[in-house]
Amino acid sequence: MSDISYLKRLFRTYYKEKRSEIPTVSLFYHREFGYIPWDKKIMMKRHMSFKSQDSITKHLGNEGPRHVYSSGALYTQPEIQDMDGKGYQGCDFIVDIDVDHFYTPCKEDHDFWYCKECGKSGLGMVHKCPKCGKSKIKTSAWICEKCLDTAKREIIKLIYDFLVSDFGISISQMRIAFSGHRGYHLKIENEQIRNLHSNERREIADYISGENISLEILGLQEKSGTIYSFSGDTYGWAKKIIRKTYEILKKPNSEIQELLSEKEKFDFNKNYIKSFLNSKQDFIDKIADNKYFILPSIEGFGMTNWRKFFTGIVHEVGVEIDTPVTIDIHRLIRYPGSLHGKTGFKVQEIFPDELDDFNPLDEVNEKLDPIVFESKVQTTQKLEVLEAQVPATKIKGKTYGPYTKGEIIEVPHHIAIFLLCKEVVKTI
Amino acid sequence: MSIPTELINRYPWLPSLKKHYFEIASRSPSIFISEVFSKDFGSDLKERLLDLFEAAFDNLEEISDYKSDRLNVYVYLLLNIFLYALDNQLITNRLANLYSKITYNELTKENNDANLYNICQDLGLKIRYYEPPINYGLNIVKDHHQKLETNFTIHFIDYLRLASNLRDEYRKLVHNSLLEGYVFIQNKRLIRLIQEYVRNRLLIKETEDKASLKAFLSDVSEIKDFKEIIDKILNAWTERKEEFEYTFKIDFESKEDLLTLYPPCVKEILKKTQEGQNLIHNERLFIVWFLLALDYPVEKVVDLFSTMPDFDREKTTYQVNFAKKKKYIPYKCLTLKSLNLCFAANYKDKLCLEGYGSVEPSERKKLAHPLSYTRIKQYRASKEEYYKNREVDEVNE
Repeated sequence: MSDISYLKRLFRTYYKEKRSEIPTVSLFYHREFGYIPWDKKIMMKRHMSFKSQDSITKHLGNEGPRHVYSSGALYTQPEIQDMDGKGYQGCDFIVDIDVDHFYTPCKEDHDFWYCKECGKSGLGMVHKCPKCGKSKIKTSAWICEKCLDTAKREIIKLIYDFLVSDFGISISQMRIAFSGHRGYHLKIENEQIRNLHSNERREIADYISGENISLEILGLQEKSGTIYSFSGDTYGWAKKIIRKTYEILKKPNSEIQELLSEKEKFDFNKNYIKSFLNSKQDFIDKIADNKYFILPSIEGFGMTNWRKFFTGIVHEVGVEIDTPVTIDIHRLIRYPGSLHGKTGFKVQEIFPDELDDFNPLDEVNEKLDPIVFESKVQTTQKLEVLEAQVPATKIKGKTYGPYTKGEIIEVPHHIAIFLLCKEVVKTI
Repeated sequence: MSIPTELINRYPWLPSLKKHYFEIASRSPSIFISEVFSKDFGSDLKERLLDLFEAAFDNLEEISDYKSDRLNVYVYLLLNIFLYALDNQLITNRLANLYSKITYNELTKENNDANLYNICQDLGLKIRYYEPPINYGLNIVKDHHQKLETNFTIHFIDYLRLASNLRDEYRKLVHNSLLEGYVFIQNKRLIRLIQEYVRNRLLIKETEDKASLKAFLSDVSEIKDFKEIIDKILNAWTERKEEFEYTFKIDFESKEDLLTLYPPCVKEILKKTQEGQNLIHNERLFIVWFLLALDYPVEKVVDLFSTMPDFDREKTTYQVNFAKKKKYIPYKCLTLKSLNLCFAANYKDKLCLEGYGSVEPSERKKLAHPLSYTRIKQYRASKEEYYKNREVDEVNE
């Protein structure tokens, strides 16, 4: 049996056995469904509708697809192929937080890239090849607790710092799920929000992420040689920026130094950081005394550097969301309770109050555990490593790997499924 | 909550109009027209209607002796009927712009929070009123700071519905104070949103059901007063038509028709100008910079703006010449997206959405600039031309 057939059989078994445990989505009959089969020649099958939750789980049990999706949108006739003929009725507000789309320092340890143009390869996150400058980059993204923790922090920030406090959205209208790979999805089910158009959704996406923000409009401006800042005595982004600035200033110098030198955010050189730290107390006093609207005079800090500093703060405050997902009203998202074909992990729904303790790679609460293929009997499988480098993976408290090409390994069943789904090993 | 009739008279576009004037709502348009002109205020009504059209054709932003009495309700209803009958997008846009500006001026002049609150309630807007006003920040004005305060907050969904099409940078949600679902908004900006509501309410598209329109016209053209007014409007329009009609043709240098080579963002703006719709500041800048970058003659670019409600040839010529001298570069795709001026998805444009450079999707390059779009399209067109010519040569051989 080929590895693909093996995985397909496992997925089918999962859907058959867990039929009653797979949650449903609201307004089920109005959703479009889609899936990606294991056969790579077949692209996504979409424009499907089901009469009942039972009929979809039955279908999944027969097909055992690699990935399963349902629409955020509601249609009167979801099965119609032509998007204009489906009878669009509105769309849930969807936010996708995926570590694939933003930088985390741990990527330097586990994400590989390879330039298809010049053959250069390396670790970390690159958009263009540092050698030839071309963007024909093949990436191999891995999974680790640090990445997933970053994604979790982003979703918590999204819920409490933006959706609840600023947008006044009730937690009971949010449905959150671990994606089964490197992130989280959040869906807002609210009648009024469902009717928003793409351009209105973009406005919300920009608010949440801080994208397209104008510091000048918020109040950063130079007048007669004095540089004015924002008023923290307000609501919205200006307040967020000042609050974060104060929070950072209160940190020990070593931490501030590290943060301000981060290339992806602030990227200040040593001299600027030194000047900044020299004026740190003055800045703290100004914010504490509510006099921060005139910025402290720091050597080397004109409008350019202040803009750079506050842009870095905006990155710190904003949530790393995948904006195209939020503004696309016809996007399909992973079906809760389905399996992610790149890991074999379950798309796990979580309540917001469960997020703090949730650890997808080592979850103690069995009901929330996305790792569904852990065998109760300690079975192992022998595998041959196919990729040049396979990073170490810590799952269920144990680290497996790193491995190199040609290595023969023996790992527990759930690790074998994960590595097979990742297509970095084959069974022997 | 019931809204005072006096407020409906002043602002007849309010949804409660139907409740207050249900006797009109139940009548057919032709009966309504006949009855209303036969009343003793019929000639006054005619005059007011014609004044509105004249002012709109003259590009005025207000009417000096505008009266907001009970007749105003009839004027508003008749205005809607005449716009339907005229079935001309340019005229509709002109009137919608003028009428909404009048509304803005009236609301600003009366400066009455209670009325503003009642109007918002009637429009179904989720709004909160605070007395005394609340502080929500500081504004720097000439080296000193000024407290920002307001009596109003508006729910973010209503705010987005009304403001997202205005697309001014300062109106973006990210630049506004937001708390627990409500946006802090000063009266003036709230009134501007209401102006936009009124404009959109009048902006009926040209009807697709031409048969119904024809039947309606044959029905109402029997009414002497209606015919008289329509004729006067059409006469006035014919006199000024040339000033507004879009005669912009692409005939520079190579005489090549570049319309087919434009990206959707440009096509959308050109469509708006053709319909006489108002362009926001960023749209105006972008289209001028784009066309100048393609070496369009200044006068042709100026012609493009002749359909704008606030067109002033002298001013526009100065501004376009200034832009030409400065050699501004048109916005790149990323900026256009952030300004909500990217229409790639609406136009389902393959080049914008899928990129270029390879048949293999993963190897395609993303389009980064609208000028690249035109260059690529031009290149493709010339390549097609070349192969066509070669085929002809081969056949001839």
